Amino acid sequence: MRFLGLTYLGAILAFLYLPIAIMMLMAFNQSPLYELPFTFDLVWFKALAGNERLLTAGWNSVWIALVSSAIATSIGTLAALGLARNEFTGKRFLQLMLFPPITIPWLIIGTAMLIFFFWTGVGRGLHAILLGHVALSLPYVIVVVGARLATHGPELEEAATSLGARPAQAFFRVTVPLLAPGIVAAGMFAFAVSFDQFIISYFLAAPGTSTLPVEIFTAIRKGFTPEINAISSIVIIISMSLVLVVSRFYRFGGER
Amino acid sequence: MPGAEKHLRVTFLVAPAYLWLALTVFLPLAVMLFFSFLTAVPVGAREATLTLQHYVSFFTKKIYWYNALRSLELATYVTLACVVLGYPVAVILTRMITGRAREAIFLMIILPFWTNALVRTFSWTMVLRGPFDIIFTYPAIVIGLVHAYLPYAVLTIYVSLQAIDERLIEAARALGASKRQAFMRVMLPLSLPGVLAGVFLIFIPVTGSFMEPRILGGKDAIMLGPIIESQFTATFNWPLGAALSFMMLAIILLMLALGYPLLQRHMER
Amino acid sequence: MTTISVTSVSKSYGAFRALDDVSIEFRDGEFFGLLGPSGSGKTTLLRAIAGFVTPDRGRIAFDGEEVDRTPVHKRRIGMVFQSYALFPHLSVARNLAFGLEVRGDPKVETGRRIEEYLALVRLSGLGGRKPRELSGGQQQRVALARALITGPRVLLLDEPLGALDRKLRQEMQVELRDIQRRTGITTIFVTHDQEEALTLSDRIAIINEGRIVQVGSPQEVYERPVSVFAAQFLGDANLFSGKAITGGLVLADGTMIRVSGQCAGLAVVRPEKVRIGRSAGAELNTLKGVVMQSVYSGASVVYRVAVPVLGETPSLAFVQNSSGELHAPGSEVTLAWDAAHTMAVAP
Repeated sequence: MRFLGLTYLGAILAFLYLPIAIMMLMAFNQSPLYELPFTFDLVWFKALAGNERLLTAGWNSVWIALVSSAIATSIGTLAALGLARNEFTGKRFLQLMLFPPITIPWLIIGTAMLIFFFWTGVGRGLHAILLGHVALSLPYVIVVVGARLATHGPELEEAATSLGARPAQAFFRVTVPLLAPGIVAAGMFAFAVSFDQFIISYFLAAPGTSTLPVEIFTAIRKGFTPEINAISSIVIIISMSLVLVVSRFYRFGGER
Repeated sequence: MPGAEKHLRVTFLVAPAYLWLALTVFLPLAVMLFFSFLTAVPVGAREATLTLQHYVSFFTKKIYWYNALRSLELATYVTLACVVLGYPVAVILTRMITGRAREAIFLMIILPFWTNALVRTFSWTMVLRGPFDIIFTYPAIVIGLVHAYLPYAVLTIYVSLQAIDERLIEAARALGASKRQAFMRVMLPLSLPGVLAGVFLIFIPVTGSFMEPRILGGKDAIMLGPIIESQFTATFNWPLGAALSFMMLAIILLMLALGYPLLQRHMER
Repeated sequence: MTTISVTSVSKSYGAFRALDDVSIEFRDGEFFGLLGPSGSGKTTLLRAIAGFVTPDRGRIAFDGEEVDRTPVHKRRIGMVFQSYALFPHLSVARNLAFGLEVRGDPKVETGRRIEEYLALVRLSGLGGRKPRELSGGQQQRVALARALITGPRVLLLDEPLGALDRKLRQEMQVELRDIQRRTGITTIFVTHDQEEALTLSDRIAIINEGRIVQVGSPQEVYERPVSVFAAQFLGDANLFSGKAITGGLVLADGTMIRVSGQCAGLAVVRPEKVRIGRSAGAELNTLKGVVMQSVYSGASVVYRVAVPVLGETPSLAFVQNSSGELHAPGSEVTLAWDAAHTMAVAP
């Protein structure tokens, strides 16, 4: 029984990782047509280094992810604090409002943003992408920080005030240190959401300038080269290491 | 604390985030709804009048309603496959593996879920092209989507399984239930809310998918998602695209409304 | 040191009246127990004194100085929370230092006081530990030391021993009482455990449905309950109801029950005041009944006796096992007790 179970688990893991592994392997294969035998070569990485378009897109992706996660984390943390420590009418409504941005397919949200930004004159481009990415990350930040806030009740802040701490002292000496892992995790989540986001960026990108996923999509549809494998491998490795770091701060529903 | 002061503080805390969401998500959705009733995009001197024609087209032209059904069909297959494949994974994780190994494997399963969906879909083009050669077919789309959404199923089912008190299973066994009976009568019913949450989390985005069909599906990619996309990127019939988007949203809301009572029970627990 | 007076305080949450015109005075240096069932308002009262709850009406004063507009952090209180609320990110010593640091005490002084208070709660040498590395009893003592170290005017304890097991609880009761005596601080503690309230308190207030039912020393409250609720919440009580006459009441079958004090038709007697025998002696109140059940616990026996005139509820008799003989279920017995132990109560 146990053997059967572990075999099944192994098969599922293989299913999840096999294509990624093959893609990475092919990034190091000399043949542009994925032909075997495998010959190790860095030719595609070298080609990538000279591909101005992909590099620019990569840089755009990184800075948009950095800026949007910084914005989303700060205003999302404020919102989480407002929601967690106060009872007020409309609170339930505000909490429910976090679900549509997460659950409505990105195709619909993306096209709605395209129409709205076009109609209001905001237009397309990296600034529009940035606006959109913050919106997508916000619900995640509020939920992640809110979950962290929920792990301790208000009594720790109450204990602090009972000991003579002013509200600001209670906040900076108790709330913030306890919240820090949640904020860090939320920030990295937000980064990942933005860095991996394709659909919204696809609709909001102006011709010529875009983020890496959009550029990769365009390349795939044009008939791709193994340079795409190389850049994709890099993207996957960045994302995975990011999640591994996050998991040190934040347990994904897993328990000891 | 006096009510007014508290009110002001709460407003100050939540306003930036919600204002942002309102201006970039909710308001655009409202504007898109408005656009879906227009004959044309109102730009420059172009005349635009109100019309229901796009919604009428959805029901009268086969290309739209038929491909909406195809999207739902695809979502059904993918969701079913994810639950069937994912449930045993969650059971094995909670029942057979403990401690750090469980944590590590759990992380490995949800790791791809946080990596670039586009890149993962792209990686299948190499595998499906090679030994199997089913690239640009319907099964290729299903495989790519199952790969993308399987972690959702494992995650939600795992969380609900983990919440089940081990002693309930023991109690069932002590009352004379076989392992199979204990599973069927205790564990499965208690994990259903998790399964349902997974179903929603998979069914909705798959219904709206267009990138996976475009990359993996070839000529089999014609479904509602790709059709909407092309209204915005190829044919530039935005009002029609908006109407189709709202039809998709309506279908999704209908699905949610049907399942909401069950999901609500799960949330309250 | 500090006297705390609560005058006509009310607090409602929607339609729920948590505190209903409560007036009470806590004397300087006394150990005061607030006792009541859950939802009775006892915690709300404690939190109003701390300043976490703002009363809708009424005043609270520390040594005559009104604190209604004083925020929590300026009231100079010490509070031990039910869950202890130790800061998980700080060591034991830093938890103790917290109150001193936020008011800006000099470092040297702080270090000395931490040592002193760790010694007070017998945790010397554990200052470097994190709260989660301590046992429940140790965490409780850290919480106590942290509340006391700032030299508060009043110590507020919210179910302080609720999370401990029975044996540890009893040890901590002794220790808590001892530390309170040594520091001499006015202490108010909330509990739903009647035995704990009786053991620890100088005075007790019984609270029910947002109102103070009775205030007094443990002995007064136990021996002279003023109402049916007070009698039945604090220990067991046999209840008699009938027509009031001079010197007592008359049950439905004409039996007279002599009562101490002015009786309006309701009276109670504690089970341990009731003697049991086959025949009546010279006692003043007697009732005949049939033993339904006897619960034997070695040194004592509790009898449940069916007395027809009292209806469904059996009467209880708690007797010392001096003879070694039991009255078997079904045997007819006579319950007897002094009129002086029969207390008139309000409904």
